[in-house]
Amino acid sequence: MVQKRVPSISVHVILLVLAGLTLYPMIFMVFNAFKSGVQTAGSPFSFPFHPLWQNFALAFQATASAYWRSGFVVSVSVAAMLAFALLSAYAFARLEFPEREVLFYVIFGLLLVPGFLTLIPLFLEIKALNLLNSLWGLILPYIAGGQAFCVFILRTFVRSIPNDLFDAARIDGAGELQSFLRIVVPLSVPIVVTLALLNIVGLWSDYILPSLILSSNHATVAMAIANFQPPPLAPSVNAFNLQLAAFTMASIPIAVLFLFLMRYFVAGITNGAIKM
Amino acid sequence: MLADRVSVSPSTEVAVPRAELRRKTTWRTRLIAYAFLAPTFIFILSFSYYPAVRALIGAFTSWDGFNPPTWIGFANFTQAFHDPVFLQSIGHVALWTVVGIPLALVPPFIVAELVFQLRSLRAQYLYRTLFIISMVLPTVVGILIWQYIYEPTGLLNAVLKLIGLGFIHHAWLANPSYALWAVILMGFPWVAPFNLLIYYAGLQAIPGELLDAAAVDGTSRWGRILKIDLPLVMSQVKLLLVLSIVGVSQNLLTPMLMTGGGPGTSTTTPVFYMYETAINYDQYGYGMAIAFMVFVVVMVLALLNMRYFQSEA
Repeated sequence: MVQKRVPSISVHVILLVLAGLTLYPMIFMVFNAFKSGVQTAGSPFSFPFHPLWQNFALAFQATASAYWRSGFVVSVSVAAMLAFALLSAYAFARLEFPEREVLFYVIFGLLLVPGFLTLIPLFLEIKALNLLNSLWGLILPYIAGGQAFCVFILRTFVRSIPNDLFDAARIDGAGELQSFLRIVVPLSVPIVVTLALLNIVGLWSDYILPSLILSSNHATVAMAIANFQPPPLAPSVNAFNLQLAAFTMASIPIAVLFLFLMRYFVAGITNGAIKM
Repeated sequence: MLADRVSVSPSTEVAVPRAELRRKTTWRTRLIAYAFLAPTFIFILSFSYYPAVRALIGAFTSWDGFNPPTWIGFANFTQAFHDPVFLQSIGHVALWTVVGIPLALVPPFIVAELVFQLRSLRAQYLYRTLFIISMVLPTVVGILIWQYIYEPTGLLNAVLKLIGLGFIHHAWLANPSYALWAVILMGFPWVAPFNLLIYYAGLQAIPGELLDAAAVDGTSRWGRILKIDLPLVMSQVKLLLVLSIVGVSQNLLTPMLMTGGGPGTSTTTPVFYMYETAINYDQYGYGMAIAFMVFVVVMVLALLNMRYFQSEA
């Protein structure tokens, strides 16, 4: 396309160096997760030619219960968040009622309320509700926290569904709930998957709210790996390597999601930007 | 995305014929609508609006989190402006913003340009994937690996030794003169995956005819970047600028995990100070007053940016 091209080999070299540097912390993490403390101290950069697989067994032993808790919190929160948001999106997009605009802006306005502003009162509220050390103390605020963005995106989507489909359903005698279940739910699967992914990644990594609400023996994965405690029998010289193994394992669920659903994720991030 | 959300106006509503509207607006439709909206509203009123309102009111109270709060007017705000730690923390976040925003905006653009100008689509896809793989790391992991990089026996010192600069050897995070810089410069070479994707999408949206025309006119690579690409990704720049300002000013996690605001108070930011006063020292009212001020400043900056850039375009 462009006539004066910089020789493309140099572009490849620059890109490869930058990609290598960008990925290096991750490569370092994976390599050293397979080493002993002595090996890391001696040659932090080298490839682990004699991988210590038991690092992963020990690291998992120390964090296993956190996976159940995080899995429960993330799946319940994201499922309820999207179900409620889709119901609201349907009401805003398809139903006519006088307060529609006002109520939409009540939800929309929350996008302007940053997390740090509500952090302390939220913590005090959960404490007053006696939900400290309960997973519901995380799930309830998470469901609320996702509404604004999800309703906003889903409303636009539901509006784009052709009217004919709804008219046909009405002629067949379908009520609003049936139209919702038979038309909106099946058609919105791709956008719901995208939103689910964005929220799963965010909630899986969340540290600050869980660290306020849960004690260390009720830790989520992000808490358990950040405040990593090696199992009592593990050699203490390997503690850092075990923590790196725990880091690596905590990234695997997200990596698997990316592997299968990368397209949705990239589309989710980029679509918002082009439509400005 | 913030900008995207804000710029939406009600005029984009699909017009519904009057007759249909009248037919539909019955008490029954209204009831159905409220039933659909009920779960969302129950949740946002109890877990978003209630804490938000409490945060704004709490800023004007003195509260230890235990006894009932007492109204003290603007005393928290007066206290803040005589509090050396708070004043210092403003300086820290100012430096972080001034240095951090170019780092958030420029390197991802350069990489997006380099990738986009590759002729093979497969190579573009491959590089794009390579640069965004690190998104699978949980945020805490990224921060804690960088904490290790800065340790006295960590990677940075090892690399410096390797290239013969071993005499510049520091405990980067333990030294008050370097700690803030270390925290700000974390993430070298600063190719943030999210920002890269946003720019790349912007470049992809440039009409092909425009690029062909530039090629026919014999525009140089730099000419094309300056005259076509850059002006056409301005909306992406605006978006990332707003997001970066909001992101830097409310970054609580990095100081919390990496340095705990220290050594001393050398990496304390206003949001971290808010957390500390409230959670560690039980001064909830004071903490909320600090949050209130950060909130107002961030809102003003974000709105100014959007105004400024909109009038430009």
